[in-house]
Amino acid sequence: MDPKKLADAAHPEAIGTFLAARPMTMHHGEGPATSVREAEHRGHHITIRTTYEIEVDGRKLDLPLGLDNDGHVHCHALPNYQFASAIDLVKRTIDTFPREFPGTRRRATPSPDKSHGHSGSMHMSMGRKKRG
Amino acid sequence: MAVTRHNILKDANSRTQYANGVMLLKREASGRTTTDFGVLGPTAPLSTYDLFVVWHHQTMMTLTPPNNSAGRNAAHRGPVFLPWHRVMLMLYEKNLQRVLADANFGLPYWDWSADGDHTPAKQKKSKLWATDCMGGQGTPVKKGPFKFKATDPQSFRVRIEGDMFSRLQATNRGLERQFAVSGVTTLPTSQNVKDALQVTPFDDPQWDADSDGFRNVVEGWIGGPPDEPGLHNRVHVWVGGDMLPGTSPNDPVFFLNHCNEDRIWESWMVKHGRTYVPKMNAGSALKGHRIDDPIASPLGAATRPRDVLNVSGIYTYDALVP
Repeated sequence: MDPKKLADAAHPEAIGTFLAARPMTMHHGEGPATSVREAEHRGHHITIRTTYEIEVDGRKLDLPLGLDNDGHVHCHALPNYQFASAIDLVKRTIDTFPREFPGTRRRATPSPDKSHGHSGSMHMSMGRKKRG
Repeated sequence: MAVTRHNILKDANSRTQYANGVMLLKREASGRTTTDFGVLGPTAPLSTYDLFVVWHHQTMMTLTPPNNSAGRNAAHRGPVFLPWHRVMLMLYEKNLQRVLADANFGLPYWDWSADGDHTPAKQKKSKLWATDCMGGQGTPVKKGPFKFKATDPQSFRVRIEGDMFSRLQATNRGLERQFAVSGVTTLPTSQNVKDALQVTPFDDPQWDADSDGFRNVVEGWIGGPPDEPGLHNRVHVWVGGDMLPGTSPNDPVFFLNHCNEDRIWESWMVKHGRTYVPKMNAGSALKGHRIDDPIASPLGAATRPRDVLNVSGIYTYDALVP
C-alpha cells in the first residue's frame, strides 16, 4: 500500500468524485422486492420466487426485503439484522424508524402479538450456527 | 512511517484528538451537496465527514452480484467485509491526520469486549460514554463532544439519514443513541473474541451471511447467542439509534467499532497467516469478493483484498488480541 496513493485517494475531492460517479440506490420503492432462490438437488434445478406484500395500518410498504437460501429475511434498511420471520422484521422497522410511523407508542409499552405466537420479543435468526 | 492505533480508553491523547478530528471533518465543507448523491430533500452542503456516510450506504446498496437474494453487497454479508472496511478506515484516518495536522495520529479502537465482560448496567457506564470521550446516549445525545445544541449550528449535526426504504434523506438533527434496547442487552465478551480467533478458514461457501468461517463470525451473522447477533452486528445493535441504519457512520463510534474488528482480523492473520478466500477461480457470482477483485473505493481498481492483507507500513496496533 503506497502512502502517497492513499493520501491522494483520501482527499475529499477524490472521495466526492468517486461517489458522484457511482450509481445511486437500486431500490426506490417502485414495488415489492422479489427474492429468487435457486438450488440444485439430485440433478434438478430449484427456483423459488418470493414476494412480500406488506401493509402497516393499511399503508402499503415496499420494503427492500430479501430472503436467503437458509430462509432468513433481511432488509437493507436494517443492515445488522436478519430474522426468521418477516413480521419480526417489520416490527423492528417500526421501532427503528418511528418518525415514519406516526402514532408509534413508546418502547416501554409492549404490544402482545397473539397472531405470531409470542409476545413483544422479536426472534432474530442470527447465531444459528453457534460457535464455542 | 507506520502510525500506532491505540485503545481509546487507555490513551488520553487519542481520545482528545479523535473527538477534535471528527468535529473538524464535520465542519469542513467537502464541496459536494446532497443533490450530487441523489439525497432526497432540500439541497444542502455536505462535510468531508458526511462523505463517509454516503460511501458506506452507497456500497451497502451495491449488491454483488445484482439482485442476489442473500443480500451480499460490496462491503457486507460476504468475504470483502473486512478488506473493504480496512480501506475505509485508512482513508478516514488520513483525513483525520490532515485536519489535525498530525501525521502520527492513529485511529483509536474501542475494545468493546472489555466492556462486555462487565454487568449489563456497568456496560452502559463505560468510560467510552463519558463526557470527555464519546458522550452518552440520548435522542439526541446531550453530553460530550457530539452533543446537540439547537441554538448552535456548529454543534454535531446528522445531515443524512437512511429511511426504511434505504433511501438517503437530508436532515438536520442531533446524533441519536439508545443503548441495549434494539434487540440485545449486552455487548460481546472477551471470550466471544477468543472463540472467533479459533475459527478457520477465513471464509467458506456459501460466502454470505450463512457461511461458516472467521469473517462471518466477526461480522456477527453466526457465533452469537441463539437468535441474537454476534460481534460486529451486536455492537451496532447494542449502541442503537444512528448505529442501526446503513448510514451508521453518522455515529463516530462506528469507526471505533470497526477499528476493533480490524484489530481482531489482524490478530487472526498473525495467528493463522495472511490468507484470504475466495480465490479468482471462485466464479463470477463472487465478483467483488475474490482476492484480486477491485475494492469499491476511491483507490481505484488496483486495490484488491490481496493488497490490504499486510498494511504494517501504514499502521500497527498497540496490542493485538492474544
